[in-house]
Amino acid sequence: MSQNRVDEYRRNFITALGGAAAVVAVAPTLLLREAHAAGEVAAKPADQAVTNAKRWGMLIDVTKLTDGGAGMVAACKKEHGWGDEAHSSPEQQAHWARVVKVTDKLTHNSFSLPVMCQHCENPPCVDVCPTGASMKRADGIVQVNKHTCIGCRYCMMACPYKARSFVHEALQDQKPHSPRGMGTVESCNMCVHRIDNGQLPACVEAAPDAVVFGDLNDPNSAVSQAMKTIGGKQIRADLELNTGVRYHGI
Amino acid sequence: MTSKFSTVFLASVLALAALLAGCSKAPSEADLNLATAKQKAEQCVEPENVIRTKHMDMLMHQRDATVIEGIRTKQHSLKECINCHVSATKEDGTPLHYGDKEHFCTTCHAAVGQKIDCFQCHADRPEVGQDPNYQHTVGSVEGHHFTQGVTAAAAPTAAEVQMVAQPQQGAAK
Amino acid sequence: MASQAIIFRETNDSKGFYILLALLGALLALGALAFFTAEHHGHHITGMNNQVVWGLPHVFAIFLIVAASGALNVGSIGTVFGKKLYQPMGRLSALLAISLLVGGLIVLVLDLGHPDRLIVAMTTYNFKSIFAWNIILYNGFLALSAVYIWTMMDRKVKKFYKLAGVAAFTWRLILTAGTGSIFGFLVARDFYNSAVMAPLFIVMSFALGLSVFILVLHFAYAWTGRQLGDVVMNRLRYLLAVFIGGVLLLEGARHFTGLYIAQKAGVEHFILFEGGLYTQLFWVGQIMLGSLLPLSLIFCRKLTNNRIALLLAALFTILGGFAQLYVILIGGQAYPLTLFPDADVSSDYFDGVLNTYVPSIWELMLGMGGVALTLVMVTIGVKVLRFLPDSLSDAVADPHSK
Repeated sequence: MSQNRVDEYRRNFITALGGAAAVVAVAPTLLLREAHAAGEVAAKPADQAVTNAKRWGMLIDVTKLTDGGAGMVAACKKEHGWGDEAHSSPEQQAHWARVVKVTDKLTHNSFSLPVMCQHCENPPCVDVCPTGASMKRADGIVQVNKHTCIGCRYCMMACPYKARSFVHEALQDQKPHSPRGMGTVESCNMCVHRIDNGQLPACVEAAPDAVVFGDLNDPNSAVSQAMKTIGGKQIRADLELNTGVRYHGI
Repeated sequence: MTSKFSTVFLASVLALAALLAGCSKAPSEADLNLATAKQKAEQCVEPENVIRTKHMDMLMHQRDATVIEGIRTKQHSLKECINCHVSATKEDGTPLHYGDKEHFCTTCHAAVGQKIDCFQCHADRPEVGQDPNYQHTVGSVEGHHFTQGVTAAAAPTAAEVQMVAQPQQGAAK
Repeated sequence: MASQAIIFRETNDSKGFYILLALLGALLALGALAFFTAEHHGHHITGMNNQVVWGLPHVFAIFLIVAASGALNVGSIGTVFGKKLYQPMGRLSALLAISLLVGGLIVLVLDLGHPDRLIVAMTTYNFKSIFAWNIILYNGFLALSAVYIWTMMDRKVKKFYKLAGVAAFTWRLILTAGTGSIFGFLVARDFYNSAVMAPLFIVMSFALGLSVFILVLHFAYAWTGRQLGDVVMNRLRYLLAVFIGGVLLLEGARHFTGLYIAQKAGVEHFILFEGGLYTQLFWVGQIMLGSLLPLSLIFCRKLTNNRIALLLAALFTILGGFAQLYVILIGGQAYPLTLFPDADVSSDYFDGVLNTYVPSIWELMLGMGGVALTLVMVTIGVKVLRFLPDSLSDAVADPHSK
């Protein structure tokens, strides 16, 4: 009997896979001719561990972001439910992503870009965490394992991008797919629950014309091709962190 | 079936323990909202005695597998426990949260005096906003999440069964 | 007169003892109240936020931890460097070191977002993290100091006295280097990322630990009616001057380097000239009151052998150390992160602006609770065990003087 259930599950799962693939395939508009969509995420079976064969990353074309990335930030907020902490001061509110306006001091050239966790290959936040709660998944996603986070905030001291937030108050009715709570540190996790499900991160979905998402290890992936063509700059490249989030037009 | 007996037995022992501890907040027999759970026991991802004694180990194992390795099987997923066992609202329509005596997890944990911090971060009720049919209908396609077979977990030891079936006197503080 | 033997004795039962305990107990209770309040409500009741993530509790904690390793120095000078005059003070030195460390750690731990998960911190180590190494270093320090006390108190293990002393001394140097490296390893922040943080913290620990030791020694003797001569106190006096000078030297090196390296010049200018409160704390608090004033109190000829002057010097050194740590911790975080060099940045989340931090009463209470715990441990320690020599009069401490 249990075997039947397993098979039934697998059938459903494969059907779901097909669905997800279809969604990705018809995802709208092209960033470049080479890119077939806002990127691609091949779903892995739910019972298999992620491996380092892939490294997820994205290229954000700032010149194509008409709102400077506000739509991406809003999508993130909606997906994960941060930023509405009732008791926290504005300085204490959680911010997984934000729009930063940059103006060059000499040339006064100005642009805006969304800044969130840059998913470094050599993340300082992972190096400093005493318990290993601040972690990089095999597929390059940097996140906080809140089960072992003791709330020391050393990772927040170490992050060059101010990408991490500490939750200053008790929360209720979190998103079931994005647990977050008092006394732990949190940050952009590239919508890890969506990626594992074969979906694009919420912010990528919100700006399909400006963002390409995919596997940086695969030279033929849309994101790799796009970066090969137009380049992909890092914020604070001088720190040599080899970020997984790259920008064009900064 | 022995299950009815064990429910009544469990409930009365819990009630007695609560009474002895003089703790007015602990659930009485009538308060123990095990009806939903019992109703779904047959469809649960593990046999009842396994789930009672081992659910913490399974959840603990699953949490590391999910967060660290990205394994998102549904069988031992806390999210799915909540989806199946917890209603989004109380009978009067107000939100049902962990700590309310009707909350599935609270019913036992309060009685055995077990403090957990799962729901500091995890949602303690299904999200109604997006999917009104959040609860798996018994027998529906969505209802089951077996990936490894029911026998994956080791059977509980006699001592563990004992521990769960008969909480120590005074533990209900 | 033949040299008198050093006799160690517990302090006497007195009304003063209980009054002191009651006062400290009240502070402890306030600290506990602060902890439970923050634990219940979350950190939003504190002044700390996502821009200034470490606040007053960390200033207290790091002060106490740094002073802890420094307090052990008095014992080390006697044991490791064989200075006989310091040896009778070795027991108190180690007790004070343990107490300061426990007081500091308790503040650090109780300020965690999840103090209940201390067991995780104790069992799950990320060995790339200097913080994890510090946890090991702190525990080892407590153990080694305890063994050190044991070798001083029990004749049967006296043969290990020197070994334990050397081990504890070596360990404490590594420990303070580790504490400094908590900041030194932060690549993201220009005010911190420097190797000089490790030696700076070591020499700070010398000065702060000795200051605390001087105050505790004096009051322990004054309040229990024991004799404490000028020979001992003058030795400590000039030692303190050397340590204060050492801190100034390394601080000078750090700030001058900062001004020369363009990348660090912004935050250096902020701290040294434009930082408002932080600039004042640096120049008035740390440099004038915390360093130059104690040095003049020590070297002023008219104040030779003046006990009050020495106590004031120690007190001001402590206040200067607090100011210094406040400037390092809070000042360093108040200056915004550099996302794009040579560009102005702005956002709705405090990018490119100076961050504000106003400590809350809860944080002060928690920090004072840690100080109180330290003093309670010392007060009870000298009461129940033989930590204090019966007398440290000149005749006892140094029979050859005069």
